[in-house]
Amino acid sequence: MLIKRSEQHRPRVKRFGTQTGEPRNELDRRAFLKQSGLAAGALAALGSLSLGGVRKAEAGPPAPPGVTITTRKNVCTHCSVGCSVIAKVANGVWIGQEPDYDSPINRGSHCCKGAAVRDDVLNQRRLRYPMKLVNGQWTRLSWEQAVDEIGDKLLEIRAKSGPDSVYWLGSAKFTNEAAYLNRKLAAFWGTNNSDHQARICHSTTVTGVANTWGYGAMTNSYNDIRNAKTIMLMGGNPAEAHPVSLQHILEGKELNRANMIVVDPRMTRTAAHATEYVRVRPGTHIATIYGMLWHIFENGWEDKEFLNQRVYGVDEIRKQVAKWNPREVERVTGLPEAQVKHIAEVFAKEKPATLIWAMGQTQFATGTANVRASCILLLATGNVGHAGGGANIFRGHTNVQGATDLGLDVTTLPLYYGLAEDAWRHWCRVWEVDYEWMQSRFPSKTLMETPGIPSTRWFDATLLPRDQVSQPDTVQAMFIMGHGVNTITRMPEAKRGIEKLELLVVSDPYPTAWSVLSERKDGIYLLPACTSFEMDGSRTASNRSLQWGEKIVDPVFESKNDYDTMYMFARKFGFADRMFKNIKVESGKVSAEDILREINRGGWSTGYCGQSPERLKAHMKNQAKFDLVTLRAPKDDPEVGGDYYGLPWPCWGTPEFKHPGTPILYNTNLPVKEGGGTFRARFGVERVVKRKVMENGQEVEREDHDNLLAEGSYSAGSEIKDGYPEFTLGVLKKLGWDKDLTPQEMEILQRVNSANPDAVSWALDLSGGIQRVAIEHGCSPYGNAKARMIAWNLPDPIPVHREPIYTPRPDLVADYPTLPDARQFRVPNIGFTVQKSAVDRDIAKQFPLILTSGRLVEYEGGGEETRSNKWLAELKQHMYVEINPADASERGIKDGGWVWVTGPESNSKARMQALVTERVGKGVAWMPYSFAGWFQGADLRAKYPKGCDPIVLGESVNTLTTYGFDPATGMQEPKATLCQIRAA
Amino acid sequence: MTRFVGIRLFVVSMALLIIAAVVPAQAEKLGPDGAPNPTASVIDQGTLLKQAPRIEGRIDIPDLKASVLEQPVGRTWDYFHEVLLHWGAAVVIAGTILLLGLAYLIIGRVRIAAGRSGHKILRFKAFERFSHWLTAISFVVLGLTGLNITFGKIVLLPLVGPDTFSDIAQAAKYVHNFTSFSFVAGLVLISVIFFKDNFPAKVDIDWLKQGGGFIRNKHAPAGRFNLGEKLVFWFSLAAGVAVSASGFLLLFPFYGTDIPEMQLAQVVHAVVAILFIALILAHIYIGTLGMEGAFEAMATGEVDLNWAKEHHDLWLARQLKEDHRDEPAATPAE
Amino acid sequence: MARMMFLCDADRCIDCNACVTACKNENEVPWGINRRRVVTINDGKPGERSVSMACMHCTDAPCAAVCPVTCIYPTEDGIVLHNKDLCIGCGYCFYACPFGAPQYPKVGNFGSRGKMDKCTYCAGGGGPEAPGSAEEFAKYGSNRFGEGKLPLCAEMCSTKSLLAGDGDVIAQIYKERVLKRGYGSGAWGWMTAYREDIKV
Repeated sequence: MLIKRSEQHRPRVKRFGTQTGEPRNELDRRAFLKQSGLAAGALAALGSLSLGGVRKAEAGPPAPPGVTITTRKNVCTHCSVGCSVIAKVANGVWIGQEPDYDSPINRGSHCCKGAAVRDDVLNQRRLRYPMKLVNGQWTRLSWEQAVDEIGDKLLEIRAKSGPDSVYWLGSAKFTNEAAYLNRKLAAFWGTNNSDHQARICHSTTVTGVANTWGYGAMTNSYNDIRNAKTIMLMGGNPAEAHPVSLQHILEGKELNRANMIVVDPRMTRTAAHATEYVRVRPGTHIATIYGMLWHIFENGWEDKEFLNQRVYGVDEIRKQVAKWNPREVERVTGLPEAQVKHIAEVFAKEKPATLIWAMGQTQFATGTANVRASCILLLATGNVGHAGGGANIFRGHTNVQGATDLGLDVTTLPLYYGLAEDAWRHWCRVWEVDYEWMQSRFPSKTLMETPGIPSTRWFDATLLPRDQVSQPDTVQAMFIMGHGVNTITRMPEAKRGIEKLELLVVSDPYPTAWSVLSERKDGIYLLPACTSFEMDGSRTASNRSLQWGEKIVDPVFESKNDYDTMYMFARKFGFADRMFKNIKVESGKVSAEDILREINRGGWSTGYCGQSPERLKAHMKNQAKFDLVTLRAPKDDPEVGGDYYGLPWPCWGTPEFKHPGTPILYNTNLPVKEGGGTFRARFGVERVVKRKVMENGQEVEREDHDNLLAEGSYSAGSEIKDGYPEFTLGVLKKLGWDKDLTPQEMEILQRVNSANPDAVSWALDLSGGIQRVAIEHGCSPYGNAKARMIAWNLPDPIPVHREPIYTPRPDLVADYPTLPDARQFRVPNIGFTVQKSAVDRDIAKQFPLILTSGRLVEYEGGGEETRSNKWLAELKQHMYVEINPADASERGIKDGGWVWVTGPESNSKARMQALVTERVGKGVAWMPYSFAGWFQGADLRAKYPKGCDPIVLGESVNTLTTYGFDPATGMQEPKATLCQIRAA
Repeated sequence: MTRFVGIRLFVVSMALLIIAAVVPAQAEKLGPDGAPNPTASVIDQGTLLKQAPRIEGRIDIPDLKASVLEQPVGRTWDYFHEVLLHWGAAVVIAGTILLLGLAYLIIGRVRIAAGRSGHKILRFKAFERFSHWLTAISFVVLGLTGLNITFGKIVLLPLVGPDTFSDIAQAAKYVHNFTSFSFVAGLVLISVIFFKDNFPAKVDIDWLKQGGGFIRNKHAPAGRFNLGEKLVFWFSLAAGVAVSASGFLLLFPFYGTDIPEMQLAQVVHAVVAILFIALILAHIYIGTLGMEGAFEAMATGEVDLNWAKEHHDLWLARQLKEDHRDEPAATPAE
Repeated sequence: MARMMFLCDADRCIDCNACVTACKNENEVPWGINRRRVVTINDGKPGERSVSMACMHCTDAPCAAVCPVTCIYPTEDGIVLHNKDLCIGCGYCFYACPFGAPQYPKVGNFGSRGKMDKCTYCAGGGGPEAPGSAEEFAKYGSNRFGEGKLPLCAEMCSTKSLLAGDGDVIAQIYKERVLKRGYGSGAWGWMTAYREDIKV
């Protein structure tokens, strides 16, 4: 073998662990640019010119000589796992990434997106300065000019049509602070038309889960999955959507020899590692769950003690489940009895068992009911409220949990206070503005308290006749900060919607498909936003942990962070002083810390009150101290002693109270002060139900007072050994605990409602005193109730299987139709009519394939950012549809060949490549949803502002998706529709 | 997207296995609903490599060869290249030179038996000579630069050092690449020009019977080309086509070829080239040292009449006859 | 002495491609050059497994053997490096490599290949450049190894599937893993690369 080194090879010490102390060579700025690959063209020239306001995006290790390298820590922006990113910065340039082994969440790991985030900042395809479309041409303008022109137009629309005609679409990529500010901006503007990606992501989860046991969030954590004996994934593909979570799932699976069951229409990368894979038909989740419950009840596998103590309404569920005998389950889902029985038995008996889901449950017209069915399964088997169990709901974006919490939602103000007068008064107190002034911002008190239009319906609210939209006028302007257009269904109609708008403003690091989809020639403004890596702020991961992200570099080009952008508009609108009353703004730079402090001062209801910026920063600094499984730091640590990582909400009381956060919700094994809890008493203490009963041979109506409080179950150390309602000053007084309140607390509390201080609750008490006292006595401030199997306030109080609007099984529609047409969220929902018409027209014959969609590991959301990232874009260069070999050969389609996919609405069509694979079963087609830039066969690349087109463009799946909206949340239905495919 | 050669193979062999073995094997692979069963015990590389020499899968980057995960056969190719080829080539080339040396010692230079007549006759026209030399020079250049790839690191590298050698090798690579075109051009010209005269004829058998004139120093009958020359022509043509074809595959790597095909192309190129070199060495020997009067045929194009008589009697006769026939035809034109 | 190796635990690999982009990011690898890649076998079928693959830094590396200019050589740590100054872009290392590691930028005429590029184990280059220098970075990418760090692909692996480090150590980690969980599809490529296997 010729392995001898020749003389020329330099001698070197390259043994592991040795340091090279050799001096780095001189490298001037030009060479630096050159070797960083930026030399070509304009940028190289820019490097030697005076740049004015434009900061250059520079790249490239190693650092120039003599420059100290600093490391800064932020959080990856591409999913909800919350992986820490360590950035190496030299001379204000991000030159490299390092693994953060200290983070208990990712332990240094990333997926391809996290490992490539540096190019999100360095990317040369980012929008460089404000632009507007004039006669079909993109023209540059200054920030001042842009804010002026946009502001004037918005004010004009406000004067003409009312504040509700401007739609504020925010982002799950916001920091908590930006999300909160965006909701506050909408409130100050005078509308509830304020939404973000959670609408199309987990709005149904939030509603469904919160209506079951109190809070709409993941109950446990990624790390806690390590404790599970059975891991069931229904409607999620975390191997692609949350890759780093698989570290915990697979290690848990290995250490406990746990069962890992994947129920999915697709043999996903996750399913490849399962111990059992069950292929279901999209849209049959409730039937599957009831099928499982049928066996569980039939064999007595349910957790009877848990049901008695902590669950309300199991009898009704039993009645419903009885209808779902194995034959019916097989008729609807196609799953054989033995398989359903097997997974039911495993889930019920090999405990703790956790249920994991993502959009495979939520994105249906029955989304809320789907999620509720999952909760019911967990409750029936006693798998909530302890380590290793729970509803592990994997959310999609970095901060979709936080943005949801902070009220980017048409139905509520920040932190789920709702829209009632109490809620408005609460936030007005926090904001220190007059309630009356706030009310004057709205056309009426009614509209102030009426939920807005969901983001899924913005174009309906634009296109429908004015009398069909329950607000003074239709939507005329969209102000979008970090939201794609291609993630919302029915894109052909969105295109018409854009064309009808008077004004479209997109604030984003990229131009996004909003800028190219329509035939508009003017009236679109693009504002360059920076990424979250270029700003400070906290983000809430799916497990409710908050992590503080440190600004890595200053915003590149002329981009601005969301705080500063919103401040500029608030100033233009004339309410900046009011809106930023308690938030420091220095020469246009808004303090993120101050915003978080304001959130702390108002965030009692959800326990966003204890996570001060100082505590969060201490956590980021001390990451290594937190345990991998429990997420807890040792009690004796001076800075973060006893805390759970990221102070997962609810983190009760003031920051000084030092509540450690709640890593597992409703966990009665721990005292509340140590992160324990109970089910929330959110729905009263009793329910009055009229039931027909037989009495002396006669049917009479009896009024039952069903107890909704827990019975004999309480969290460890509780002084009340039974259920109890939520705490108010009145309740404290009854218990004689009110004397534990300090005079200062009492004084603040009195100010909240001086007329009737006894009515002041734990959520409205701005002193945090009620929470503190309740917790000192071992009680949950929000009470101790039963979880609800019946959610009587929802359209389907107990989940009912309903066929998708466009179902491949029209024969089942007679038995399982969707809900009747109704008006919801200011617009009509005509799902029933659409479903009936599809059945009548025999749509399933013309479009015989089920179309469902999902995520690719390389791309996220609408994909504008990731498809522009050169390291990611290389890995998936084409939009495609997965099709089963049998379906492909019937149609003469070859792997890699071009196909036309057509949809049943708007004569929609899309051209893409075919991926012939057994990942999908026969009759099912699957598409990734992160593509845009092609529309119905046309390449729109030329329409992007020059140099800002993403590297990879492709057809959007939502060009083909169809009508269907969840009545409780307005969630769209992209996971089950129909299509036809033919070779192109 | 990706191809499935390996997987297809795998599927076929799996199908065979299933037919041969049992239905339960299938049952293990699929769940009761017919969906794939992930617990169906995972393939290990040993099994896969028994089924096919390469493990292939799916990859989404548009680079077909990237879908080959593992090809232990690379080590076999390494063995071919570093052991078989080195020794084989050395033996063949050195052996040829040795044999020719022996021939020279034993037979010596074949003289023109009758001595030079002093009269010349045109054997190769200028264009024919150009074609020959185009091919010949290209061949030598290709041969040397080609041999450098295999033997340079043993022979040349120790002499000039790695940097210089690398420069030489780099230049040699480009020279090799570009010269291939002139070689192919030459090869095409030669084939077209000499095709007819190299067609096998009855006289070739007589020539062969008489041992090509080498054995008893008695000249065998031959046309424009004797059988020996014809064989050189045909072998050269075949070898030329083979090295060119394989060479162009190597020159345009993975343009429609995959890894095994590229490896095969390289093997063919190397083996044929070595044999080709051996053949041409013999050709050179006879055309120069081995035979008096032969070289001038390609140098000036004219040969001595006596040489022609001895080596290509039939051709000479035909040639002379044609000359006479041509004369009257030419006269009226004057 | 430590012998650096890679090991991909296919029962952990989820085809997330973190290793791929980590490599691209750390070494500024240009579009079209894939020092590391993930291949999925039996895609969508029973027994589907993904394996991350790059240069395995073989024992008796075939690429080094076939290199006509001997520009490829192993270091004391068993890392196979190469000197781009010497490379002539002949492509032979690709034919010999059992793992498809060598990559070539397309340059100039026809299919002509530029200087070979491959995984350096994040240990800089095999040329005369000073370790950690900008020149070295421009040609070969990062020199983490010189700073006492392991290749970023393995460091950032989402599921700790891809292991890098001393062969004995990672073999031990893998062995313990297999014993704990009760299954394992083997150390992919080890027999071919290192002529040894991990017996559990």
